[in-house]
Amino acid sequence: MSETTTRVIVVEDEPQIRRFVCDALRREACAAIEAATARQGLDEAADGKADLVILDLGLPDMNGIDFIRDLRTWSSVPILILSARSAEHDKIAALDTGADDYLAKPFGVGELLARVRALLRRHWHGEAKPHHQFGEVEVHLSRRIVSRGGAEIHLTQIEYRLLAVMLANSGKVLTHRYLIHEVWGPGYADQAHYLRIYVGRLRQKLEKDPTQPQHILTETGVGYRFQS
Amino acid sequence: MNTELPSSWCRARYVVAAVLCLLTTLGTLPLRELLDLANIVMIFLLTVFVAAVWLGRGPAVMAAVLAVALFDFFFVPPHLSFAVADGQYLVTFAVMLAVGLITSHLGALLSERTTEAESRERETRALYQLARDLGGALTVGQVAEITQLFLATVDMDVTVLVADTGKSGSTFHEFHEYGSHELNDLEKGFARTAHEKRTIVETDSLVGMGVAIVFLPLVAPEHVVGVLALAPRTDDVDRMRSLRPLLEAVASLVAITLERLHYAEAAQSSELQVAAERLRISILSSLSHDLRTPLTSLVGLADTLVQRQPPLDEGAIETAGIIRDQAHAMHHLMSNLLDMARLHACNITLNKEWQPFEEIVGSSTRLLTALLASRKLEIGLPRDLPLVHFDAVLLERVLCNLLENAAKYSPPGAPIQVIAGTREQWLEVSVGNDGPGFPAGRMDQVFDLFTRGEREPAVAGTGLGLAICKAIIEAHGGTIVAENRPGGACVRFALPLGTPPPSMEEEEAP
Repeated sequence: MSETTTRVIVVEDEPQIRRFVCDALRREACAAIEAATARQGLDEAADGKADLVILDLGLPDMNGIDFIRDLRTWSSVPILILSARSAEHDKIAALDTGADDYLAKPFGVGELLARVRALLRRHWHGEAKPHHQFGEVEVHLSRRIVSRGGAEIHLTQIEYRLLAVMLANSGKVLTHRYLIHEVWGPGYADQAHYLRIYVGRLRQKLEKDPTQPQHILTETGVGYRFQS
Repeated sequence: MNTELPSSWCRARYVVAAVLCLLTTLGTLPLRELLDLANIVMIFLLTVFVAAVWLGRGPAVMAAVLAVALFDFFFVPPHLSFAVADGQYLVTFAVMLAVGLITSHLGALLSERTTEAESRERETRALYQLARDLGGALTVGQVAEITQLFLATVDMDVTVLVADTGKSGSTFHEFHEYGSHELNDLEKGFARTAHEKRTIVETDSLVGMGVAIVFLPLVAPEHVVGVLALAPRTDDVDRMRSLRPLLEAVASLVAITLERLHYAEAAQSSELQVAAERLRISILSSLSHDLRTPLTSLVGLADTLVQRQPPLDEGAIETAGIIRDQAHAMHHLMSNLLDMARLHACNITLNKEWQPFEEIVGSSTRLLTALLASRKLEIGLPRDLPLVHFDAVLLERVLCNLLENAAKYSPPGAPIQVIAGTREQWLEVSVGNDGPGFPAGRMDQVFDLFTRGEREPAVAGTGLGLAICKAIIEAHGGTIVAENRPGGACVRFALPLGTPPPSMEEEEAP
């Protein structure tokens, strides 16, 4: 870990949840800063020293989306959302506004820490790597070469662009809207089925078992997540 | 007494016409020596004309004939005799009679037209007033009352029959009656005919029996909203006929008003429904939030105990693990219950999108990784499955429920199959296991709420799973069946394929 302590702000109005989340973070040697309201959370984040914000979407004093929008005007700190599983549109709105990932309630400590670690890693090391490896696939972005088990794989332009966007955001949930905008450009927002067809083709070319993908994962109702 | 007045006035008019002619004769007799006979003819013609304008056609014709006779008797030599000395006077008589008849005809026509115009103007004003009154009506009862008051001025009783369109639009069920007297079966039959055939039904044979004899369909732009049943208070059939145009105008005004009320009511009730739906959804979501919060604490705090440093003793760790698992199970049960409540709400909004079925196979097996870890999953998905239009979150729930059931009701380590394919216009998916199968004879009940395969619950569960699957699949316009096959059980569901949107093919260039 870095020489200074990692600072994580936990914005959650429910004291019991806040307690176990902070306990878990402290065991990971993070400094967990507790905030019971959105206002308090924004105040804590104001010094710009936070490395991660964990945000409950159902806060009493402020809409979670407004919180993210506020924070995003001056900070790029990673945001992990805690939300109910059945509220897909809330998650999508939060992710489109600038949140980085979400965790459905109820969640275990193990899941929480895995997400926290992944977000912190991305935050510190950045995502712009020219070379990626996952499973038996190797991608050299600088040379535009994709190979699987040593044999080069032919990707179409759109497949390649889609893969590149996913690799650049490895570990992060990408909404359908974001991916379509990044790969096809504006004006294709209502053509979500293109994205699904191309994700299917990428899986067939890169995944060992396309019906049970290990890297290009579906976040049902929300989007996709790449996991190396 | 209304009917007597015209006939006595009729007779009186003839008398008046005769008196007029006599007065003219008496007035002009002293002038016989002073005036030329041609001028006296003129005076008689004037009298006939006046009679025509004031008294109508009949008295005018009589006046014309009488004028010729009086002129002949008193003025044409030889006087006081109908004999004519000079044959030329016969021409005078003929012309005088002809002019008298023609003027009487024209005069009578003029006065008839005037009367007609006046009565039409009155009618128009009355209809305008009726339209204004109906425009302010807020209930069907008020409409009926206004119509009754209006038609009472033309001596008619009216019953407004409003068709009950509550259930199924155009098909006719019952009338709601608004009127002074209840219709008998015969009248109802006529009303029904008028309603169904969209024509006016008249039954002259029943005149004077105090029953409705004219049935006017209330034809609004969209549909026939009801019938006006009219019962005249008199036996004057001709008068009834002459009122026809007025009655038709009234019927169309009432029809439009009823239609307006119908739509206003529909708009209001759909507003109410939307409000109720919104309330239901907000109750469900706050319930879901309030239940989930303590469960999240429970899972997290139990996890904290498991991972505590320094570690607790083994028994305590195991207990904490059990608490966590039970909290998860509780969450699962709660989600199922809330989903069921949501699905049972009359209109679920499906968030349907065109997508490959393969995606939710991958996502649901990943969600159940822990449960399926010890199982061999046999997945049979053709590579060329077309896109299907479905709600991914709900279909994922179906697949998860089926996979969980397959795992729950088969021996540990036994394989589970997920097989999909297309048949005609359907995507067919089956999830099977190598378990004991569904109990024979209860296959059709397994999808009912709170029904479980076995009578003695050896395996934890609520029996909600398959009921939810059925609700979701049926909301998608699909079907779901449970069946036993050699060596196991299987649930098959089918979703309609439809026509996927055109896919975009890119040019081949890496």
